[in-house]
Amino acid sequence: MNAAARLGLLAALLLAAPLRAAPLRAADLPDLFAARVKSCVTVEFLVENELDRQPVSVLGVCVDHDGTIILPSTAIGARVSVRQLKDFKVYLPESATAYNAVYLGQDALTGWHFVRAEEKVRAQLVPITAWVQADTPEPRLGDQVWGIGLRGKDEDFRPYFLMSRVGLIEAMPQMTAIAATEVAGPGLPVFNRDGALVGLALNSFGQNYLMFSRRERGQPVVLVDVEESSVFLLNREVLPYLGRVPRDPSGRPLPWLGTFGMEPVAPDVAKFLQLENQSALVVSEVLEDSPAEKAGLKGHDIIVALDGQPLPRLKPDQAVVTYLEREIDRRLPGDKLPLTVLRDGRRLELDVTLGDEPKIIREAERRYFERLGFTIREFLYGDGVARRVKLADQRGVIVDFVKPNSPAAMSGLEFDDWIREIDGKEVKTYADAVAALSAIEADKTRTDFVLLTSRDGETAVRRVKLQ
Amino acid sequence: MSGGFNRLLEAVVRIDVREVSFEQGARRFVAGVGSGVILSKDGLVLTNAHVASPYAVEISITLPSLERVSAQLVGWDHWTDLALIRLDLDEVRRRGLTFQHAAFGDSDKLFVGETVYAVGTPYGLTRTVTRGIISNDRRYFEDDEGVRGYETGTFNNWLQTDAAINPGNSGGPLVTEDGKVVGINSRGFIGADNLGFAIPANVARRVVDELLAHGRITRSYIGLVPGTLQDLEHFYGLALNTGMLINNVDPGSPAARAGLHGGDVLLAINGQPVDGRFPEQLPPIQNLIASLPVGSTVHLDVKRGTQTLAVAVVTERLESRMGEEAAFDKWGISVRKVSRAYARENQLDSDTGVTVLGVQPGFPAAVAGLAPGDIITRVNQQPLTTLGALQEIYDKYDRSPGSLLVEVMRDRRVSLYVLKP
Repeated sequence: MNAAARLGLLAALLLAAPLRAAPLRAADLPDLFAARVKSCVTVEFLVENELDRQPVSVLGVCVDHDGTIILPSTAIGARVSVRQLKDFKVYLPESATAYNAVYLGQDALTGWHFVRAEEKVRAQLVPITAWVQADTPEPRLGDQVWGIGLRGKDEDFRPYFLMSRVGLIEAMPQMTAIAATEVAGPGLPVFNRDGALVGLALNSFGQNYLMFSRRERGQPVVLVDVEESSVFLLNREVLPYLGRVPRDPSGRPLPWLGTFGMEPVAPDVAKFLQLENQSALVVSEVLEDSPAEKAGLKGHDIIVALDGQPLPRLKPDQAVVTYLEREIDRRLPGDKLPLTVLRDGRRLELDVTLGDEPKIIREAERRYFERLGFTIREFLYGDGVARRVKLADQRGVIVDFVKPNSPAAMSGLEFDDWIREIDGKEVKTYADAVAALSAIEADKTRTDFVLLTSRDGETAVRRVKLQ
Repeated sequence: MSGGFNRLLEAVVRIDVREVSFEQGARRFVAGVGSGVILSKDGLVLTNAHVASPYAVEISITLPSLERVSAQLVGWDHWTDLALIRLDLDEVRRRGLTFQHAAFGDSDKLFVGETVYAVGTPYGLTRTVTRGIISNDRRYFEDDEGVRGYETGTFNNWLQTDAAINPGNSGGPLVTEDGKVVGINSRGFIGADNLGFAIPANVARRVVDELLAHGRITRSYIGLVPGTLQDLEHFYGLALNTGMLINNVDPGSPAARAGLHGGDVLLAINGQPVDGRFPEQLPPIQNLIASLPVGSTVHLDVKRGTQTLAVAVVTERLESRMGEEAAFDKWGISVRKVSRAYARENQLDSDTGVTVLGVQPGFPAAVAGLAPGDIITRVNQQPLTTLGALQEIYDKYDRSPGSLLVEVMRDRRVSLYVLKP
């Protein structure tokens, strides 16, 4: 292309601009941005482990005038107990001042973690509900959307502007928009051109790349941007749930069905089963003594409807699993979950009454024995599921941590081993194990002790040498 | 060298094997080279189970006279990594070929430091002789998938030598200066300097006799997984040199049904005391159990805490984890039957189903979504209890292709797929 032609093209583009439907109005954006930044914070806290403290920094939004802040579900790992969470601090954008905060718990349905900031900072926070405009249309394909990113602590959490256009809107099963490029920090709000709230950014999705290096040619890698996200939930998946502040840091009550391995059927399988335009879920296992078992659900059953409504066909197929999980989580223990299942070609109606979920891992009792070099935790219902152990045989404790190069580590003990016996004596309860190991730890004359452990269904005798 | 040694050289052969492999989602052929030693006038050749196995479709032997003769498998035993093949004697006679045969020495009389020679075909280099010493005469070496994925080394110890042993030496003899076969070279640590292992002749002799008589070796199983007692005698209140620690008891096995469990100590088998302090003491104890007749009652003396129990256990036939394999070309899939041992190892409810070994991209099984490691448990909602049942379904599909509903278990999760022509 010669220079003259290039100029011609440029001229054509400039001429075309005034003809576009939406006029360019950049002038008010700095003001909109400055006001909305007040809803965004950075939250820092520590996860205290046996040997170290792990600092965590995540983004959050303020949702009310009580200083309540929500953090993305991934902010805290599922194994971390509330007792391990320490020193919650809230930082406003463009400020190095730390304000104290308390952890309120995780909501079962949204997965959000709730934190409450101390009194004196609350006046400086503006809840995202302030940016809700009643007549705001939901974003559509191609709509311009923008949001806020926050830099790190060394830059005083400086806010910056991000903007993109909606590329796709999909029920996954929650209505989720995917923008063409990054539009907000994960966990931060997303706005339309007029500054009205349209959604809340999720963690970004993985993107496929090929990596080339001197040694490798085109290795596929998945990259996830942890600072900015192009994915956000629409208002209707956010606003109704902002008030779900946990009553208790444990997040209870937790509704429970009691199945293992719900697998979606692909469209061709649904068609083969004569289920047109809908999805279905295969139940891999029904757990012992669970609400599902009591209602008569069986392994290999195919769930085709909930509340009499066929399971929706969602993309990807896996989204229908989340759909059912959310339908459970939006209910309470004691609520009904009417299911229709296919079994040996017959349709059955099952009236499940949801139960209260047995103790989960973050609620488990734990004890670290420093001299011995390991942590035990109580045996939970889920441990029985993972190890295929019947309720009647569920005794002993689980190894939750092994200190490197400690006596326990040298004996070959590993994380997640199941301790069945200590010094030849069966461990019946967690308290048994704590008593036995405390006595060993306190006895400085002890040279060794012996554990019977189980791993992958195989037992082994381990001698832990203390001297 | 001695006359015996020179005769031995005339009894060592190169073995070329073409065998079938089911790994890639299809029936494929792969070629390998190993060594062997002629044991008798009627053309019996001893080699490794990982050289000649039931997967072999063509075995060809190169005699020291540089003549090639075909051979047939007589039997194999992956537990000791030994196989017996026989030269095609008609062909030998017809072509007027001659060969020598070797004799076993007494491997129990070997001493550490004694000079030995390895003869074989390392990297295809026919009639290579290397020299070394016996580095250890009782090496414990167990491998759960050491022979083409089959278990090995549970019932015997090995001779360790520093005579150079390379790939291709497999199945060749380890001999003393007088040309007596004291071991069958089997494996080495790749990358290590001269850490080679051989099956002792006294083990091989028994295996040869049994393979000749029955074509296979039948062993008994009760389900004990031993551990070493070293330094635990005091804890268990045992006299020195007594007992074998039971680390694990396979769920559902005869020993488990008799109430034994991990942490028990085995004191005696049918009144015969056992001593399993160190790893190399375990294979003889395991072999003692394996040598009992299948279905016989064995009396075990067991120590649990301060108690001593007398337990009677009825033995079962020992099975490999590896099941029968097959490929279904039009589906583009190869499978292996789930065995009882595999089901036990993977905590499956039963031995129903076949494991997917491989799928061929673009073929119906891969298009449906099946992947290696999946366990096909049902087809058209009928449980798949045998490989034959799947073969029947395939034959029917082959005659008139139609869609099939395939139920698969992947990491305990049940999924459905439609396999379409």
